[in-house]
Amino acid sequence: MVPEQPHVQEVTKGKGAPQGAAPPGKQGSGAKLLPHQIMGLSYYMERLYPGDKVRRFLEIFAAVLQHSNYAQLVDTYARVGAKCANCATSCQIYLATKDPKDIPCYRTNLLLEIYRRHFTFRGVLQSKLTGTVYLTEERIRELAESVYHCTGCRRCSFECPMGMDHGLITHLSRYILAEMDITPKALVVATREQLEGKSGNTSAIPVPALLDTLEFLQDDIKDEKGIDVSFPIDQEGREFVFFPAVSDYLLEAETLKGIAVTFHAAGETDRWTIGTGYFDGINYGLFYSDWCAERIIQKEIGETMRLKGKKILIGECGHASRSAKLFVPTFGGGKDALPVMNIMEVTVDMLRRGKLKLNPDVIKERVTYHDPCNIARTGWIVDQPREILRSFCKNYVDMEPKGAKNYCCGGGGGTVSIDEIRSYRTKVTGKVKADQIRATGAHYVVAPCANCKKQLREVCEDNGLADVEVVGLHDLIYKAIVL
Amino acid sequence: MPTLELNGKAYVVDEDGFLEDPTVWNEDVAKDFAGIEGITDLTEEHWKMINYLRNYYLQFGIAPMIRKLCKETGFPLNKVYELFPSGPAKGACKLAGLPKPTGCV
Repeated sequence: MVPEQPHVQEVTKGKGAPQGAAPPGKQGSGAKLLPHQIMGLSYYMERLYPGDKVRRFLEIFAAVLQHSNYAQLVDTYARVGAKCANCATSCQIYLATKDPKDIPCYRTNLLLEIYRRHFTFRGVLQSKLTGTVYLTEERIRELAESVYHCTGCRRCSFECPMGMDHGLITHLSRYILAEMDITPKALVVATREQLEGKSGNTSAIPVPALLDTLEFLQDDIKDEKGIDVSFPIDQEGREFVFFPAVSDYLLEAETLKGIAVTFHAAGETDRWTIGTGYFDGINYGLFYSDWCAERIIQKEIGETMRLKGKKILIGECGHASRSAKLFVPTFGGGKDALPVMNIMEVTVDMLRRGKLKLNPDVIKERVTYHDPCNIARTGWIVDQPREILRSFCKNYVDMEPKGAKNYCCGGGGGTVSIDEIRSYRTKVTGKVKADQIRATGAHYVVAPCANCKKQLREVCEDNGLADVEVVGLHDLIYKAIVL
Repeated sequence: MPTLELNGKAYVVDEDGFLEDPTVWNEDVAKDFAGIEGITDLTEEHWKMINYLRNYYLQFGIAPMIRKLCKETGFPLNKVYELFPSGPAKGACKLAGLPKPTGCV
């Protein structure tokens, strides 16, 4: 039906790698089964817990229930979960596959049933009486497959009559699995570099390379706009310490130039700085591990404190914004924690104060806006970017649905980093988005999120939308700004 | 660690086919790897890209910003894709012996 869907691949014992699991030409002959093939996951897992996996899973689950706030939540959900499937119609993955296993509450129930059968009196009694053990390796595998089918967009949470947040249960399931090393390698490798590597960021950019890039961007602005615009580096006491998705320093020149030029045009370059101690907004912990999330958040807080900055400013990135907004208070002092802002909040404020002049005659093509789930689902950043775009894009159209009820780009929840499942992302999870973009007839799709940009470019490429250009919000500002 | 056998030589690579140890790179590596990237013949333009990437990597320990790569080699992005069908990060970096890019790349 759908190509390369990351479904379970049966292991044929003693017959080498299962068909289609590894791209041709990438393994020597007679290669041993890779961990993900043993588990039947079609994306790569680095290593597999060598002991009793069922016991390990239950031990971790027990520890999480005992030492975190998840216990009450899981217990409540296990009691109220009605499995009514009202959420099905809101899930773009289910709408694309029509597979009952892709219904959000089916996925949630995988974990809740483990809880009911192993952690409640009735469930334990049932197991004792019947002499059975509910959890099996097969069920762990099904859970692992299922939670990485989900893009964590949380659109389903609107539809649940019991108010369950399926995204949160997906997150918890991933957290438990991560503690037994079941996490797509793309996420683990990047996070390890960020927390333990020499560079300290997910794209492994050393400081000299960062400085070279910033110098290049300054020269590039000089070439294109004829003015000197600086990227402030390691300035103490500034209002904002800036953390974009660090991959922007490799991929998104226009976005970064747009941000620098915006501060410059408003005469407020002295409000922000980039720190060379730490400059990465990405926090994959949000996708799979609270423990990693906390340590990454501490790095952001640490760098902001080092530079005596007053606020954490996140660049054009959805998950980076949400993880900081949510977890800086959680792990950084509650009410006294550093405030977190997204760059679009700063830009719209400058616009409202009349500090920015944007030429309405520059962007003639039709423009539409894609809401990154992580900043739009709660209604946090929905109107601000539209206010900016409408102020200078004459031909602006919205997608439908939009804002808090938008559809995900199809690469959320960390799945965009997994190259192995590209066609699943673009043809299944991203299908609805491709249809939406096509319906707008827009040339520019503004997606202020590193994650969404990468995904939408692949979606457009794989769905015959060759004329569409996926850009950041500040890319267009850069084109239209009057200096 | 998977090994890749090309033209009678064995290379230790990661599961995406990137050279495990970037220091073993020489021009023969690029020639041997070209086939798996769907490149039949390495032209002067290919070498310009590969050498630029290689030199930047030796100096800074990472690939350059794509915009910088395009500007300094004079190839627009679509030309880069023409030369290296799987793109600058996956295709060109692989031939230049750089490690696989990580993160949102």
